[in-house]
Amino acid sequence: MRLLNVTAFFFAIASALLLYGLNYDTRRLEAEVQAKERSAERARNDIAVLKAERGALARPERIDPLARQLGLAPPKAGQFESGREVSELNDRRGSADGR
Amino acid sequence: MAAERDGQLGRRVSVEAPRKQRTSRLTETGVYAVLFIAFAEVTIQLVTLALSHQPNVTLALSEPVATSFSRPDIVDRNGRLLATDLEAPSIFADPALVIDRDELVEKLITVLPDLDAGELRHALADRSRRFVWVRRGVAPKVAQMVHDLGLPGLSFRDELKRAYPAGALAGHVLGSVNVDNRGVRGIEKYIDDKIGVDPVHAATLSSRAPVRLSLDLGVQHALEDELDGAVKRYQTEGAAGLVLDIKTGEVLASASLPRVDPSWPASALDERHIDRVTAGSYELGSVFKTLTIAMAFDEGLAQPGTMLDVRQPLEAGRFTVTDFHPAGRPLSVTEVFTHSSNVGAGMLALQAGPEKLQGFLRKIGVLEPVKVEGATVVAPQVPPAWNRAATITVSFGHGIAVAPLQFAAAAATLLNGGKRVEPTFLRKFEAGVAEAKPLVTAATSRQIARLMRVNVTGPDGTGSQADVPGYRVGGKTGTADLADRGGYASKSVISSFLGAFPMDNPQYLTFVILFEPKGVADTGGQRTAGTNAAPVTGRLIARIAGQLGVEPMTVAETQ
Repeated sequence: MRLLNVTAFFFAIASALLLYGLNYDTRRLEAEVQAKERSAERARNDIAVLKAERGALARPERIDPLARQLGLAPPKAGQFESGREVSELNDRRGSADGR
Repeated sequence: MAAERDGQLGRRVSVEAPRKQRTSRLTETGVYAVLFIAFAEVTIQLVTLALSHQPNVTLALSEPVATSFSRPDIVDRNGRLLATDLEAPSIFADPALVIDRDELVEKLITVLPDLDAGELRHALADRSRRFVWVRRGVAPKVAQMVHDLGLPGLSFRDELKRAYPAGALAGHVLGSVNVDNRGVRGIEKYIDDKIGVDPVHAATLSSRAPVRLSLDLGVQHALEDELDGAVKRYQTEGAAGLVLDIKTGEVLASASLPRVDPSWPASALDERHIDRVTAGSYELGSVFKTLTIAMAFDEGLAQPGTMLDVRQPLEAGRFTVTDFHPAGRPLSVTEVFTHSSNVGAGMLALQAGPEKLQGFLRKIGVLEPVKVEGATVVAPQVPPAWNRAATITVSFGHGIAVAPLQFAAAAATLLNGGKRVEPTFLRKFEAGVAEAKPLVTAATSRQIARLMRVNVTGPDGTGSQADVPGYRVGGKTGTADLADRGGYASKSVISSFLGAFPMDNPQYLTFVILFEPKGVADTGGQRTAGTNAAPVTGRLIARIAGQLGVEPMTVAETQ
């Protein structure tokens, strides 16, 4: 009987210690998760800021004059060389308009 | 004696021993029961904790804090960013903790000079309040400067603030948000109404997928840039324009000048800053002849070569309809289009009769209000009675006022073989279901495309200045007197150009409208669309055709 009591006592103490350890671990993990979440949130905010900055830097209103300063211009039809011809509206018979 | 005592003791021991045993057993059972219940309680608690779904954090504040909203990003058709949420500090005060109200306001004004001092003083005077906004969504640098003032009672919290990296580009389409980050106009309002925003207490970015618009940032810039140039060159009161995909109805660019900056929503409240593409309806003038002539073709009333005697003016009630440049000879329907003959268009409309004209206009969608995401397209103003006078004037675009977007959609319907074009500001990923019966015949569609092309290439076409070598541009000019109180302003016109390219297989439609252009040296003192709106369209198409992937081709001479 005494043996059982002693065992139960040690079991209770061991469980208490185990629970204490688990509790402590859980809090530590929670803190870690929160830190990770905060850093992910910061990273997301940084990404949003960087994306907005890239958008602001690449806005056509800014790029257009810079490109023109460098001597660039929208491509002209003559700069494409395909060698293909298209007949006017694909309809050679369509010119019977009374004129 | 001793034996007797022993006997007595032995008896007492034999009586007391079972009682003691019983008591200790009872105690033991009690202890075990208590321990069991305690362990069972712990187990139940652990199991409940493991199974139950705990909410992350619950915010309990005695003072209600204004909720903000996180919104999805807005990107153009190629994924380029147009609007996003950024974290920005907001400053608030707790009147109960403010020691010296006047000092706080005076010092704050050194950093925030545009602060309303009277209003803030009044708000801080109410000691029963625990929360007063000072300024929301300031730059981090400004927040730091306010922090450095070291004023008691001031605090900061991070909130979301809408940012528009492309500035005022496409401002009318994008719309704007209020201080709580809720959409109040344009696509921003559409997002609130149809896509959804999430209420947040802190600066939590939205996890929703970006909203992809049909706009193309490059095309939008080219359009706005060309319209800016036109406003300066022709000294106009305003300008509007759009580029539409004829096959899908996607609006690739839409601009109205003077523009509004989505970051400064107050500018949109001014009457001059309305979105003229959707919120204004105008008598567009001769561009409307495109619809009248399409009706004549589609009803089988005329062919491009049909001759009309346009020498006599048309009597329409108390008006006499004449041509701007009378030809002095009979004209073919093609020439009615290229000379922009009011008499010719009027004759075709009269030949069809008001019912057929009205029926055709209703069929292609210029008589009923249209809907588009994020904008209220103003309802068309149609004649109260379709009598002879109304039939004639409507045939050349007077007496009927429609929003430019609505007119462009109807014109696109004519050019794409009769498939109804429903304009949209959102990117379409799947092709729409083909309607069983096209609204106009393929032949009508081809003939209209051909007329528009001839109007640009022909020696007497009014749209010759819109031509861009290689891109097969077609179009129709329109110069309409501006409607004024009770009549027409004699010296103010709306000049417009309806363009499309490449005309062998029309893909894109452009519509440029200039409000009250002046006759300048460039136009030889003229204010007609052929001298201002047409060259603007030509320059615009030269810039965007390459971006849109239209291949330039050498056009075989067939005319």
